Amino acid sequence: MFQLKWIWKNLEGNRGIYLIAVICTIIAQSITIISPMIFSRIIDIFVDPEAPTAAESAVLAAAALSEQRQLLYTLCISVLVIQLIRSLTFFSANMMYEKASQSMLYKIRTAIFFNIQRQDMAYYDVNRTGDLMTRLTGDLQTVRHVVAWVGKTLIENIVLFTASTVYFIILDPLMALALLILTPVILIISNVFRKRVGPMYVKLRETFSGLNIRSQENIAGNRVVKAFAREEYEKERFDVANKEYADANKKAALVWLHFFPYIESAASGLSVVHLLVGGLFVMIGRLTFGEYIAYSSLIWTLANPMRFIGNLVNDLQRFMASANKVIEAYYARPMIVDRQDAKTDSAYISGEIDFRNVSFKYSKSNRYALENINLHIKPGMTVAIMGETGSGKTTLINLIARFYDPTEGEVTVDGINVRFHKLRGLRKKIGTAMQDVILWSDTVEGNVAFSDVNMPEEDVYLYARLSDADGFVRKLPEGYETIIGERGVGLSGGQKQRISLARALAVKPSILILDDTTSAVDLETEAIIQDNLNNHLGYKPTKLIIAQRISSAKDADIIIILSHGKITERGTHEELLENPDGYYRQIFELQHGMVAEKSLTAEAGE
Amino acid sequence: MARNKFDIDETLDTPFDLKHLKRAFVYMNRYRKKMIASLVISGVAVVVGLMGPFIAKYAIDTVIPAKNYGMLFILAALLMGIIVVNVKLSQIRSRTMTIIGQDIIYDIRNDVFAHFQRLTFEYYDSRPHGKILVRVVNYINDVADFMSNGIINFVLETLNIVFILIFMFIMDWRMALVIMIGVPILAVVILSIKNNQRRGWQQVSNKNSNLNGYLHEGLEGARVTQMFVREEENDKIFAGLSEASRKTWMKAVFWNNILWPSIDIVAAGIRVLIYLAGLLIIPGVSFGTIIGMAEYAARFWQPLMNIANLYNNFINTIAYLERIFELLDEPVNVKDVEGATELPAITGAVEFKNVTFSYDESSVILENLSFKINPGESIALVGPTGAGKSTIVNLISRFYNLNEGSVLIDGNDIANVTLASLRSQMGIMLQDSFVFSGTVEENIRYGKLDATPEEIRAAARIVCADEFIENFKDGYETVITERGTALSQGQRQLITFARTLVSDPKILILDEATSSIDAKTEKLLQQGLLQVLKGRTSFIIAHRLSTIQNCDKIMYVSNKGITECGTHEELLAKRGDYYKLYNARSA
Repeated sequence: MFQLKWIWKNLEGNRGIYLIAVICTIIAQSITIISPMIFSRIIDIFVDPEAPTAAESAVLAAAALSEQRQLLYTLCISVLVIQLIRSLTFFSANMMYEKASQSMLYKIRTAIFFNIQRQDMAYYDVNRTGDLMTRLTGDLQTVRHVVAWVGKTLIENIVLFTASTVYFIILDPLMALALLILTPVILIISNVFRKRVGPMYVKLRETFSGLNIRSQENIAGNRVVKAFAREEYEKERFDVANKEYADANKKAALVWLHFFPYIESAASGLSVVHLLVGGLFVMIGRLTFGEYIAYSSLIWTLANPMRFIGNLVNDLQRFMASANKVIEAYYARPMIVDRQDAKTDSAYISGEIDFRNVSFKYSKSNRYALENINLHIKPGMTVAIMGETGSGKTTLINLIARFYDPTEGEVTVDGINVRFHKLRGLRKKIGTAMQDVILWSDTVEGNVAFSDVNMPEEDVYLYARLSDADGFVRKLPEGYETIIGERGVGLSGGQKQRISLARALAVKPSILILDDTTSAVDLETEAIIQDNLNNHLGYKPTKLIIAQRISSAKDADIIIILSHGKITERGTHEELLENPDGYYRQIFELQHGMVAEKSLTAEAGE
Repeated sequence: MARNKFDIDETLDTPFDLKHLKRAFVYMNRYRKKMIASLVISGVAVVVGLMGPFIAKYAIDTVIPAKNYGMLFILAALLMGIIVVNVKLSQIRSRTMTIIGQDIIYDIRNDVFAHFQRLTFEYYDSRPHGKILVRVVNYINDVADFMSNGIINFVLETLNIVFILIFMFIMDWRMALVIMIGVPILAVVILSIKNNQRRGWQQVSNKNSNLNGYLHEGLEGARVTQMFVREEENDKIFAGLSEASRKTWMKAVFWNNILWPSIDIVAAGIRVLIYLAGLLIIPGVSFGTIIGMAEYAARFWQPLMNIANLYNNFINTIAYLERIFELLDEPVNVKDVEGATELPAITGAVEFKNVTFSYDESSVILENLSFKINPGESIALVGPTGAGKSTIVNLISRFYNLNEGSVLIDGNDIANVTLASLRSQMGIMLQDSFVFSGTVEENIRYGKLDATPEEIRAAARIVCADEFIENFKDGYETVITERGTALSQGQRQLITFARTLVSDPKILILDEATSSIDAKTEKLLQQGLLQVLKGRTSFIIAHRLSTIQNCDKIMYVSNKGITECGTHEELLAKRGDYYKLYNARSA
């Protein structure tokens, strides 16, 4: 079974401990029967020695008590010592199972986190956060449970079953056969049960994930819920998911309860077999009374493992449903990775970018997001990208840091195809301030110093000043130490954008990408930021600026206009203005012309 | 309320008290009848089960020595009958209790979720979302078993102990007292472990909460992580949190694991004591009594051990219950006042009367602000970032409570009307253009649940989203995800805009509604909007002057209030802050 092999693989480093734990279990379980043996000796010698009459046996016992008191003490002490050993062994075994399973849990969990962090963007288009959370919480716990608990109980039961089977066969093979005859029946029932319950656990796991997704999105979208006063609707939707999950739980349990009577009756039925067959054997003289009672006191050692099979099947099916999802996340592989022959990290990138016949299509879409883009950007140049919503601006810049690979053509940085750069090296040289600002629930300082946790405070302040964030940050209750919520909620849109910009500048990037970074910032602030970026960085990174406002774009060395994935205009501010039908000219007139017109009327009105 | 991040434990300061249990009983009480029925069934099963040993005893004493073959078959049949009845009874009981257990957690979960819907932004803003998530989902699962089977088993085992005690004392009270020596010893063991155990599991739930909080952020922020090549640092942090979780688990489980073996040792000691006392100390104890008492002692420890085990469960459950109830106790700051009335259909007159507001005690955002807006007016709010523009519109929707003053809509103080009736009449478009996972159509329909496809398309057309939506492979049926890249930011904004419009609000609030939309689309959008805005009061926050020039009134927000107010022309003539802003823009 692949799943179990995978577990074994991840137990590496703890296999020794796990095996020792198994051995401890075997030992502890085996000495379980020693104490009853000692007590039966105490009974035979001191309490009820074998004698023809009760009076004679009382005399024997009294004699033994006065003559062999030392033996009595020895036996009693050995009971205590054995119990002490047994308790210690059990305890150590349990702790070792826990240690091994926790180490495995740690290993798998960190490995999956490692893996998921490095997935392509496309992975996040398909996998919902709530589902990924399920895999790393509930599903992983199920896997752990199998290693820590199921493994242990399985071994305990096997040891018990084997030991008593051997003992019974030695006592009387025919009697043993009569008792074991139900075992195959239980196995068959369990197998039918397994087939029936398997899909139930798959469904249960799905509904659990559904519950997670529902809750997660409700939490993430709590503002929208409130804005639309949709609390009741959300409750109804949650109620559906909640009910589905509860029903799936009930269903799985009811399947088990459907089979439970058969398994339990078979296990308990052993005592009927014992009564009937054993009784007959005693009557015909095949068994002694003593042997009959010996069977009776050990019959649970067969019955319990039989009962356990049902639980085992339950746990294993649950495990399968979860393990498959965990393993999927464990082995998910990104498409965008370093090539074997990737260039080694270069300490320096000049920031030259070249798009050569680049076309790109999202897998879900039926049209090209970018078509035949050719664009050469020299180091230190400022390029402004404008265009309608959905025209491919963000897609274009996503190709530089290789968040996607072009469908056709190539993107080069410093003359080398980005596919031949090491991803880390490349991305480290690129600072991006995104449109959709995602901050972390961390301090402001932690957010600015995101790229380098050891960044000196002065640098953090510097970058905050450059993005004009220093002023408002210092006014926050705890200044740079203020914890800002996930997604920066609690800050205004413009404030978030400026922290995001500071974070990008802190990379000291050779290529600075500003994806509509100042859209929510007021105009004065924007002017300050632009001045800082142009004159106070201390070096000249290549800048790509996606903008909606002419004011953000007009000083760029080249302005390109994207329309439906194609570059339709390119040139400087002045050059583009010359084209009267051009998009740029239109926008200019829309923004400036109208302003000019209005101000004229305003002046006239004065 | 202290803000929280991934590496800060959310410790519980309150010691455990019985009120948690009482509250748990409220949930169980709803299923009282079924639970009592289960208890009775279990009791019957126990009694029936006790008949088994009688049959065995009768067979050994009488039937087998007499070689009565016929009787042996009858006894076997009888035994089988008892087993079948017993199995059937426990099947019925398990079925009932499974359903009750699931129903209880279903109830709790719905209550917790419902409570979440009432909590304000502050709650969500001040702690990692992943931490909230595990409380709704995982913690509640963990209490299911205890709150159903746990309670019943507890009662049964207690009864069991009582019966055995009675039998023991009837058989020989002196020997019974010997056995009782074990009880205080056990009590000491359990009590000394108890506190460590409770603290241990609280720690585990703390550390897991941290881990999950960070995990959630890691998933949500994966893109930023990759952009800033932070993977390794994040790996380290996550590994650290995993390690903390592992360590606390090992500590807590240590106390769990020590309990059983300890009881085993005490049990063995008492058994030895029975033999020694019977044989050497207490005079006149018959041999049969020694063996009998040893049997009873063995049976005595079993339910005690079961109870100890239940107790383990109980401790874990309590750790989770504390978290869950703590959540339910989270105060709802903005809620319907007692006797709140439905806000009648509004015309859209808005008035601020001496409003003072601050998010926290330290800094006042708005001070003694008063203004009045007539129905159907469009208002633009301008001013520096962080001046309080969003705050003003948030107060109209009563997302926060005022410190002083009042906000009136159509003359009704919004503090006295129900939140649902207030907010359902406003269309609020937030800065953060959040979309839910689902189809484009579902997302727009969120604004009006019974919207027809035509209404949805009409709204999309007004905001110029129809064209690009139709260009998707699946059109309006295209599935988008919360964090997905299938939509550009501008497209998201347009979809959320359509969502707001479809709700047909009397008061429309647009907070940076068009910031990510290109100027050309915006121009088209405005033409459509002019139609839409007719007959609605609207508040528009924007930095682009082109968006705001046409508004009826422009308010300049700064200095904890509104410093300038008037039409575009009036404000220009004033040559104040707006004039400066405008000139900076047109320069």
